[in-house]
Amino acid sequence: MKQSTKIYFTLLCGLLGMLTVSVAEDSAVRENLSRSILSEGAEQRQQVAALADTGSKLVHDVLVAWTRDNVFLVTTGAVKIPVLLEDLTDPNGKARAIVIADGKFLLDENKKELRFGPTELTAAETDSALRGVIQQTLDSLALADPNPDSRRNAILKLGNSHKLKNIAVLQTRLAKETDASVRRSINEAIAMLQLGDRDPKIQSAAAHQLAALKSIGSLDMVTALANNKSAAPEVVQAANQAIVKIDGHIGVVNFFGTIFRGLSLGSILLVVALGLAITFGLMGIINMAHGEMIAVGAYTTYVVQNIFGAGFAFSVNLPFTFFGHPLGFGLHLPGMNATGAFYESYFLFALPLSFMMAALVGLVLERTVIRFLYRRPLESLLATWGVSLVMQQLFRMVFGANNVQVSSPNWLQGHFTINDVLLGYNRVFVIAFAVLIVIGTWLLLTKTPLGLLIRAVMQNRDMAACMGVRTARVNMMTFAFGSGLAGLAGAFLSQIGNVGPSLGQSYIVDSFMTVVVGGVGSIVGTVYASAGIGTSDQILQQVTGSPVTGKIVVLVCIILFLQWKPGGLFSIRSRNLD
Amino acid sequence: MAISETSLRDVLLFTFDEINAAGGVKLGDQSYKIEPVVVDGASNWPLFAEKAKQLLEQDKVAVTFGCWTSVSRKSVLPVFEKDNGMLFYPVQYEGEELSKNIFYTAEAVNQQATPAVDYLLKQGKKKFYLLGTDYVYPQTTCLILYKYLLLHGIPAENIGGGFRKDDSGKVISAGKYVPFSHTDFQQIVADIKQFAASGDACVINLINGDSNVPFFKEIAAAGLTAADCPVVSFSLAEDELRALPTKDLVGELGCWTYFMSINTPANTSFLKNWDAWLATQTHPGVVKEKRAMDSPMVLSYNGVYLWKAAVEKAGTFDVDKVRDVLEAGVSFAGPGGSTTMQKNHHTTKDVFIGETKANGQFKILETFPQVVGEPFLLKGLDAKLAAAK
Repeated sequence: MKQSTKIYFTLLCGLLGMLTVSVAEDSAVRENLSRSILSEGAEQRQQVAALADTGSKLVHDVLVAWTRDNVFLVTTGAVKIPVLLEDLTDPNGKARAIVIADGKFLLDENKKELRFGPTELTAAETDSALRGVIQQTLDSLALADPNPDSRRNAILKLGNSHKLKNIAVLQTRLAKETDASVRRSINEAIAMLQLGDRDPKIQSAAAHQLAALKSIGSLDMVTALANNKSAAPEVVQAANQAIVKIDGHIGVVNFFGTIFRGLSLGSILLVVALGLAITFGLMGIINMAHGEMIAVGAYTTYVVQNIFGAGFAFSVNLPFTFFGHPLGFGLHLPGMNATGAFYESYFLFALPLSFMMAALVGLVLERTVIRFLYRRPLESLLATWGVSLVMQQLFRMVFGANNVQVSSPNWLQGHFTINDVLLGYNRVFVIAFAVLIVIGTWLLLTKTPLGLLIRAVMQNRDMAACMGVRTARVNMMTFAFGSGLAGLAGAFLSQIGNVGPSLGQSYIVDSFMTVVVGGVGSIVGTVYASAGIGTSDQILQQVTGSPVTGKIVVLVCIILFLQWKPGGLFSIRSRNLD
Repeated sequence: MAISETSLRDVLLFTFDEINAAGGVKLGDQSYKIEPVVVDGASNWPLFAEKAKQLLEQDKVAVTFGCWTSVSRKSVLPVFEKDNGMLFYPVQYEGEELSKNIFYTAEAVNQQATPAVDYLLKQGKKKFYLLGTDYVYPQTTCLILYKYLLLHGIPAENIGGGFRKDDSGKVISAGKYVPFSHTDFQQIVADIKQFAASGDACVINLINGDSNVPFFKEIAAAGLTAADCPVVSFSLAEDELRALPTKDLVGELGCWTYFMSINTPANTSFLKNWDAWLATQTHPGVVKEKRAMDSPMVLSYNGVYLWKAAVEKAGTFDVDKVRDVLEAGVSFAGPGGSTTMQKNHHTTKDVFIGETKANGQFKILETFPQVVGEPFLLKGLDAKLAAAK
């Protein structure tokens, strides 16, 4: 029985990529790794650098764990043993320790496996000089990495090294390399190194090569060469040509980058404003608490994240008493202590929950406050503003005045590049997300019976009531739907910015601005307005070089635009007299 | 009071309790207990001046500790000069100011910004991107750094973020600036990414407060790691890190004259006393959980003890006499090491470079011992640059 458990665990670790190296080469590499972790100073750096020759996946994993403070030192007597903790933990949050030197579990005198929690052990520390060396070692390992992106990064670093001897290393790799984009990077790196050659012919050829490759990373080096007084004239000429070519390429990259960033900013505006386009645009409620609905969504994401982690608890004692009894309320939600992919998926659960939570709050708000104010827009402004203040204070009481930490799942972090234009996963996600919820909203409003009722009630409340529509109920559903959309926005905003009590305040102005520019009452207008405002904001930031000036220009343009078209982009023409 | 300021109030209350428990301020054979008067400027600059006036003219306080941001200090300065009060200012600032009524226990630019740049230069960094929130402290600091970098052989084209020049072509502002609570850093990070493409680059970050979260999330998304392009931040101490996603900040740098992680008996016992005080605290509004200690808090603590030492030496609470003693040089062995008041109202103290760890603490990488605080740097740099030409 015991034997089988062990095999099971070893298999599991194997899956995690910890113990995949075959036994023969294993032991020497492991010994070296263990020794280098225990030594210090220059000697340590030398030993770590030497690990690059092993080409072992194990070295990579341990070094990465080391830089992340996940290599621990167990002290027994005077001896320190470097260990990794197994990913699998027991119910007490403790895990078995894998000794780096032999890959086996750490045992006590009675041959029993020792278990530790991460806080019980001291991590093997690294400083930045050592991490620099570790990085170099990882770079060399990365030249043989199966992932082309990692290979490319490693290659560019060698290209920047100014060391001609690296050319040989790169050429060896080029002979083996099959991936086209990596081959391009290798050529770029070789050319960058060749710029430093003594032979003017090689230098000019390298400059031409870099021009052909449109290498942004080499611009500084090429410029330096062009300004180098001692360089040969034909080299300077080649360098100048390369500068023109690369500058042109940077212009193109910036152009498409700006368009993408504009769309992503526009999508954020759209996601934020869509809920308001319904509550303010369709229903005509000046809802100053819209921002707090966004915050409800963001805090829901935070709570869901904690439930997937260590749990969530709060307790609030009110500053007054009821017949001598202290008043207070509190909540404790146990955590699931999830790890790995399951923990990462918390965001997928957070999205619908944010929607529901904000919709629920919206429902309560509509039933208790707003339904009395449908024909009095100014009073609704004041009342919802009051509600927004109350809610902000409530967030402070429950979650504290500080911002809370929401960490993005790994699949929302990182980026990919197309022709040097950087596309962040979270940005691509928000664009897709915006498209999806617009389509969803459109389908709901135009293709469902509820949508039909909503449109009927919004166009003419009294007439709809005469036709037997339960307008009060439709109002309630519509407001809850609009609030739910705001909650979705909050869930997303938690991934790119702060989650704090005043989160809503930073977006309320933008939301109203988008809805008003788009034309009150028109969802299509909101879509166009957000895309337009987002893109022009980014273009102006690029052109003026300053976010402050960019924002001012956008606001001035909006004021002028509203002078020209007071109804916004898509004003609703109606025969209503009001 | 915002989040960071309440921490200063708490640590000051702690300091007063500690002094009172040890017998108070002793003048000859008489001993006086410190009685705190707490006022809240509510981040409203005119209100700061009003409250200062109230403290000096109605409450007739012996000394004032506080203010956060240079704007608040500049608002109360005329009041303190008119009523001849005494203010201890504990938050890192841009310099270029010296009032006879203010003592700056804060980090001057040469006790935070320039040591950080020295460290980065030593690490072989050749390109510096300057970024900050648009107000007086980042603007002045970046301008000083721009000149400092030129003087250390970094050409202007390797200083990123852009310049603004006046009509004569003189650079009056260096670096990229964002408004308070800015949230969209896509363009700036794309700019930094291009700037750092050629390697050996770093970012000097003077962004204030909440905007740091979207900034660091964007930096992480763009794949700029601390190993390739480190960011050194001057407004992020342990207290602020409590509210930041520290996972995205591991390895990024900070520079202060105190870190909570300083491993000395003085600091250990200081932190122990602080925790013990927090546990028994009944003052309304003092948060007890998850507290951190940081540089502005310790500099407030040091300020109180420097003042106490000066009062005891002068034998009186009279502002003029206490000032004379302080200017003559008073020392205090604080949690972050020894600190001495100088004639120019700034202090001599140790400066530390640290890198952020996942637990929100700093690992100390380098120490600059006993750096003399110097408020006026711009003129000296201008003269040196002119001489270099």
